[in-house]
Formats: sequence, structure tokens, C-alpha cells
Amino acid sequence: MRSLTKRFGEVVAVQDLTFSLEASTVTGFLGPNGAGKTTTLRLLLGLAAPTAGAALVFGRRYCELEDPAGRVGAVLESNDFHPGRSGRDHLRALALAAEIPQARVEEVLALVELGPAANRRVKTYSLGMRQRLGLAAALLGDPELLVLDEPANGLDPAGVHWLRTFLRRFADRDGTVLVSSHVLAEVAQTVDQVVIIDRGRLVATARLDELAGRGETLEDTYLELTAGGPDESPAPL
Amino acid sequence: MRAQLRSELLKQRSTRTNLGLFAGLLGLVTLAVLLHGVGLPTSDLAGTDNQLMVFGRGEYLGALFAALVGAMSITAEIRHGTIRPTFLVTPHRGRVVAAKVGASILMGAGFGLAASTLAVGVGAAVLPAQGIDVQLDGGDYALLIAGGTAASALWAAIGVGIGAVVRDQVPTLLGISAWLLFVEGLFGENLVDVSRLAPGTLGVAISGQEPDTHLAPALSLLLLALYATAAAAAGWVATTRRDVV
Repeated sequence: MRSLTKRFGEVVAVQDLTFSLEASTVTGFLGPNGAGKTTTLRLLLGLAAPTAGAALVFGRRYCELEDPAGRVGAVLESNDFHPGRSGRDHLRALALAAEIPQARVEEVLALVELGPAANRRVKTYSLGMRQRLGLAAALLGDPELLVLDEPANGLDPAGVHWLRTFLRRFADRDGTVLVSSHVLAEVAQTVDQVVIIDRGRLVATARLDELAGRGETLEDTYLELTAGGPDESPAPL
Repeated sequence: MRAQLRSELLKQRSTRTNLGLFAGLLGLVTLAVLLHGVGLPTSDLAGTDNQLMVFGRGEYLGALFAALVGAMSITAEIRHGTIRPTFLVTPHRGRVVAAKVGASILMGAGFGLAASTLAVGVGAAVLPAQGIDVQLDGGDYALLIAGGTAASALWAAIGVGIGAVVRDQVPTLLGISAWLLFVEGLFGENLVDVSRLAPGTLGVAISGQEPDTHLAPALSLLLLALYATAAAAAGWVATTRRDVV
């Protein structure tokens, strides 16, 4: 992100936001509700146009990627499915558009453990199953970067454990993950570094091991940084 | 583009929505032709114009349902949020709109063909049963079916364009239905010259109905194709320029 700004009329959702991701790491994208996390992710993925600045993926705007599904996989909402369509057909439609072999649909269904339910209509799925179906869609192109918006929402403890293990393995295989969340306890167990925003502005970036080395907890740091006023400058940790 | 078209065709046939619409269309066409054939006075149904109108219920309803199919191809994606993964996989949104237009034209043509053929078949059975001689010849039947198919295909493209511009599903579907079922009828009574150029009337004209009042079928086809092109272009502009929230 380079000086990324997004305004909706009078409302400034993202303001002069600059940060970058390290390859092969899991980065937690943190901030209170309404801080601008989801807007930032939509700008990154080309779903919204920035008012100023740029959001680049692998050095390009998302729409300029030659094989977007093979570079980036994303889940922005837990319920982006037609309720009357089966999980398998949801994935097949995306695979067709991305020119991904249909065999890959079966692979990702097995990967997220949805194979037995794949022919059921999505309206019969639990929230956890929908989260996993969204993840399967993001993985169709075997991407290098995963962008996930609040992926642990609605997951039971087993589902959270599964997700944490999955993200860790993805990063260990040279994948890069940007995961937004406001569940700090979960983030603290999953990510390598954090980017914290508040009211559309960057307030901090840090590696978790650096915080631990200074005897600070993520929660204390987060609460301290996000309790300030809207005009605070980004603070070094 | 071919990949997106295949994807859109799968989306159109992988829910029960279009199947339900298709069944509803066939039921309504049958009912409409039966009611006209049985309910109107025998003397009114003796003339060619009124027979064309009765047999043309297939085109009329086919175009309406095709427009709804086209509109829902994009409004349903917006309503259910699937537009996000769709645009993530295909960030060139113009390709998505073009594929939706293509898939909807194919689906609309199928709806129009089935509805027009059914209307002709039911009409050809009902009128003689009422003791009425059918005055239509092979050319009339061919035009009813081919025109109904073409008009429905073009109305499906118009539906995609309107859906992409309006985006909200309920206002889109209500607006299209109100326009075709009521608004153009008001034009017809009060502004005959204007009504000839209205898109719903052009569809009726393509299938050869009311030849003394409406424009010629070939000219009507050309003008309705221009409407479809303009609607699709408006949908393309709206889709490529707006944020997806």
C-alpha cells in the first residue's frame, strides 16, 4: 500500500496508508470495527478504486495480474454464495472462469474436508462449512498470497484450530498470508507480524517476536494504540 | 471470454431459479392462450390480427421472462455476494458483463423458442376446438416462433444491462415487469407513434403481430438490437466504474 486513501463522500475510510507484506509470513491486519480493514482489503483486490495512492499486489494493480487466481486467493465475506447452488458447483463455476482444471475442485474440496457435503446446496451448510468453502474457492488457483477477512468468525474451537494449522502450513510452504481480525487471542497464536490501523490510519507495524522480546503483549499494545484520537501519528513500537 | 461464458452458463443452470421460471413461463403461456381462445367472442377470433395476437402470447411472455433471467444473472450475484469471488477470478469486469450477456441471450432464446412454440401449438389446438378456422399460414408460424425467439434473446440482454445499472434485485425485476406489462400499454393507447418504437412493442412487431400498426419485423429486430446493445453498454460502464461493496 502506498499512501492509500479512500473516501466515501465526507467519510474518510482509509487515509494515507502505507505498508507492505513480507513473503512467506502470516501478517495480522488488526484494528477496531470500522477502522478501515475491509475497505483496505477491497482496495487491494481491485473491488474498489482508491481516491488517492495505490494498492499493489506483486508490484501491480490487482486487475493487471495475468493469472489473478494463481497469484492471490481471497475470502472477504463468509457468505458469498448462492444459497441454492451446491458447494461443488460454486467452485466449478469459479474454476471454469479461471481456466482451472475441474480436478482441482475435487482437490480443494478434500483439502478443506468438504467432499461429502459438496453436492448439498450451500443453504444447508453451517457457518464453519461456509468459511471452509470460501477458503476452498480462494485456494483453487494454488495462490502465492492469501487474503482473508475475519476468517475465524463463527468457527468453533476445532475449526479455529484447523484454520490456524492450515495458515501455518501455507506460510511454511512459502505462501504469504494477510489475515484481518479483531480477535487478538487468535491472532497472537497464528501470525508472525501485525499491522494495526485505527480510523483509517496506520498506527503500528511489528513482529510478534519483537513484542515478546520486550515483554509486551499484543493485547496491551493494541489497546494502547487504538484508544487514541483520530489525528495521532503512526507510532513505532 | 470463452471461459467466462462457460462459467456463466454453469451458474445459470446450477440453481433451480431458471428452472422455476421456465416452468412458470410454460404454465402462463398455456393459460394465456387458453383464456384468450376460450374467453374471447368467436367473431373476434376469426380475423388474422387477433389470431396473431393470441398466438403471440408466447413472444410476449417469453420476452418478459427472458428479461428477468438476464437481470437476475447479475442482480442475484450482487444480492448474494458472489459478485466478489466472480470479480476476484476475473478482474476484467467487462468480460464478466459480456459473458453474462452471451449466456443470457442463449438462455433467453431457449425461453422464447419454447414459449412461442407452445403458444402456437396450444392456439392451433384451441381455436379449431371452438369452431374457429385458423387463418395463419406457414410464414406466420415461422415468424411467430423465430421472432419470439429473437425478441426474447434480445430482451435477455436488455435485462442484463438494466440489472447491472440498477443492481438491486427487487426494483429491477419489478421495473422490468411493470414496463412490459403496464407502461407500454399506456403508451399504446395514447401515443401510438411513440409506442411503435418502445422496446416491448418492437418485440411484438418482430413476431409479425399487428403488421398494420407496428413497424416491419426486420426493422423492429434492428431497433430492438440497438436497445439491447445500448443496455448492455450501459451495464458495462456501470459495472466497470462502480466499487463493489
